Amino acid sequence: MGTTASQLGKDLLSEYQELTFLTKQEILLAHKRFTELLTKDEKDLPNVRVPMEKILTLPELKSNPFRTRICQVFSTSIVKDGSLTFEDFLDLLSAFSDSATLEIKSHYAFRIFDFDDDGTLDCGDLEKLVNCLTGETEDTRLTPEEMRQLIHNILDESDIDKDGTVNLSEFQHVISRSPDFVSSFKIVL
Amino acid sequence: NFGGGVQSYFLLLRFLVLLNLVSFLLIAGFVVIPSIVLRAVHSSPANHTGPEECMKYDPNPQGLVAFYNYVLDFLSGMGFMEYSYLFYGYYSNTLVGDRNFSYNIPLAYLFTVVFYFAFCLICIMAMGTAARIAVATGGSAAGNYSMIVFTGWDYGCLGDRATKLKQKNIHYRLQVDLEEQLMKERAASLTLSQKVVLYTLRIFLGFVALGLIGAACFSIFEATVFSQGILGLILEYLPSIVITAGNFLVPLLCEQIALVERYRPSTTVILALLSVFLRLVSLGVLLFTLWGQIKCQVDLEKCDLCQYNHEEYPCWETRVGQEMYKLTLFDLIVTIGALVLVEFPRMLVDNWSNKVARWVGRQEFVVSANVLNLVDGQTVVWTGALFCPLLPLINTAKFVILFYCKKVTLFANCRPALKTFRSTTSNFFFLMVLLFGWAMATLVMIYSVAIHPSMGCGPFRFFPYMWAIVPMSFYRLSEVTQDFLFFVGSQAFSVPLFALS
Repeated sequence: MGTTASQLGKDLLSEYQELTFLTKQEILLAHKRFTELLTKDEKDLPNVRVPMEKILTLPELKSNPFRTRICQVFSTSIVKDGSLTFEDFLDLLSAFSDSATLEIKSHYAFRIFDFDDDGTLDCGDLEKLVNCLTGETEDTRLTPEEMRQLIHNILDESDIDKDGTVNLSEFQHVISRSPDFVSSFKIVL
Repeated sequence: NFGGGVQSYFLLLRFLVLLNLVSFLLIAGFVVIPSIVLRAVHSSPANHTGPEECMKYDPNPQGLVAFYNYVLDFLSGMGFMEYSYLFYGYYSNTLVGDRNFSYNIPLAYLFTVVFYFAFCLICIMAMGTAARIAVATGGSAAGNYSMIVFTGWDYGCLGDRATKLKQKNIHYRLQVDLEEQLMKERAASLTLSQKVVLYTLRIFLGFVALGLIGAACFSIFEATVFSQGILGLILEYLPSIVITAGNFLVPLLCEQIALVERYRPSTTVILALLSVFLRLVSLGVLLFTLWGQIKCQVDLEKCDLCQYNHEEYPCWETRVGQEMYKLTLFDLIVTIGALVLVEFPRMLVDNWSNKVARWVGRQEFVVSANVLNLVDGQTVVWTGALFCPLLPLINTAKFVILFYCKKVTLFANCRPALKTFRSTTSNFFFLMVLLFGWAMATLVMIYSVAIHPSMGCGPFRFFPYMWAIVPMSFYRLSEVTQDFLFFVGSQAFSVPLFALS
């Protein structure tokens, strides 16, 4: 079931509450912000898909260096263009909410960092990840030697089975040692 | 978003502001206000005994005073400021006596100062146990790089500016850690002869650093002796200037030396922390020379009459208070001056051209140096509290100004601190240093209480030493109170109390 009616039905609301980690207020706020992104005609259609460019106008995502990847990961679109329906949007907020568990967050973090969607983090993924973290412009990137050294160190530390890539369980192993991952992996409207 | 080190700096600053404010209210309530009331009421002074020569003290300026003299006097604490509530010399030794109510000003003065010290100690202890700022620290912990890369981003970061700042932060952290690692690998791969050369170089530079510190101490000594003889504002400020210059230059030189020696960044932080030793030592040297002059170590016959150098120091407590006052004021002026003259131009240069900025290097908020400045200033205030009762108030104002200045500097100019800081251990270290400064100030206070007060001024005019007021006041109490206090102090009472607690 989907909805884009201006009002969210009571049973839909409780269904969403059960399926996600969000509270009732958060779902209502999400609904409000989502409908603001729609054009007048779209407001009455069910299951509207909002293109990625519009989603990225939200201030919470606008300056996030991972915004494109986030949209792509949560998008259920067949053409993989990063567009989100309201339910995709709720999924996104649920994964980034206060009450989501460590496993959920680390699972989605892994998928976000996996730029080529092959299920593991290899050197190319890690390089793109580091570039996102330090900034995309020329003078904010690490030098090639530094990058090489850094990727070497990361694989040294996290690649337990020594296959040259970081898979999900190795990733979750690193994450579990960080005390504030859960509080930093948070987006609140 | 600048890191835990900066946060702990501002926390310490806030704590010190509160401490100074409360101490000032304490002193005001028990000493300053009764003195003001006393002046209004005009009670009769106590009996005078003692050689006439020693009691001559006339601080008020003679004749017409030019306008600029007021400015000079404000900066040096002399002239119109000398004989005022600011300094020890103004407080009278009278015992306000009324039919029903009596207030012993000298006793209040002494007890307030002693209580002030005890209160500060309690506050520091409380702060030490209460403040546990657990911050994720840098340093070469295992799994560090993966942690930074996988968990380093804060998804709650809103806005372009905050994002760029965070990105810069991460960039520098990675760079620093990678650099440290490279240096460690390089150091581990040195051949034996290279190691020998490196160690001899280090020892030599260590001697150079010691020599610099010794030279600084000697010049402070000379400056203090020199300035006491001749008047003039620059010479008045000479000890403060030399101390501040020393405090700036020696750590700077040590830093350059450390760069030459290719130390790891964490070692340079320790070196910066070692400069606290220099600061407190320089303060100690100043006080030592001052007292040497007062007690005539050089010219013994000057002290025969009054047991202190009454010709040059008719009111020596005020003199010491003035030196502390000048140190505090000068520190504030230099900080504001550095802010305006050094940091703002750097910011302007940064905005103009990136190339020049990279050559000069963007401003960095070095937490350790700033915290040590705070501790130093606070130690000066503690030392001077006995001689300049309004000093805590001045210090409160100074720290408030400092707070806002540093905040402006931080947000407008600085890049995030390059050297990630081990917050938890350094917090402990800073409190230790504060405690050390407090201990030094307590020693100074005990020494002052034990030597002969000036006879021309102040509440302890006619006592052989300041502490003598306590037995004297004790015997003025009624018989019943005396007996009670004797009982409390005696063994019959205190031993069971001890055993019970």
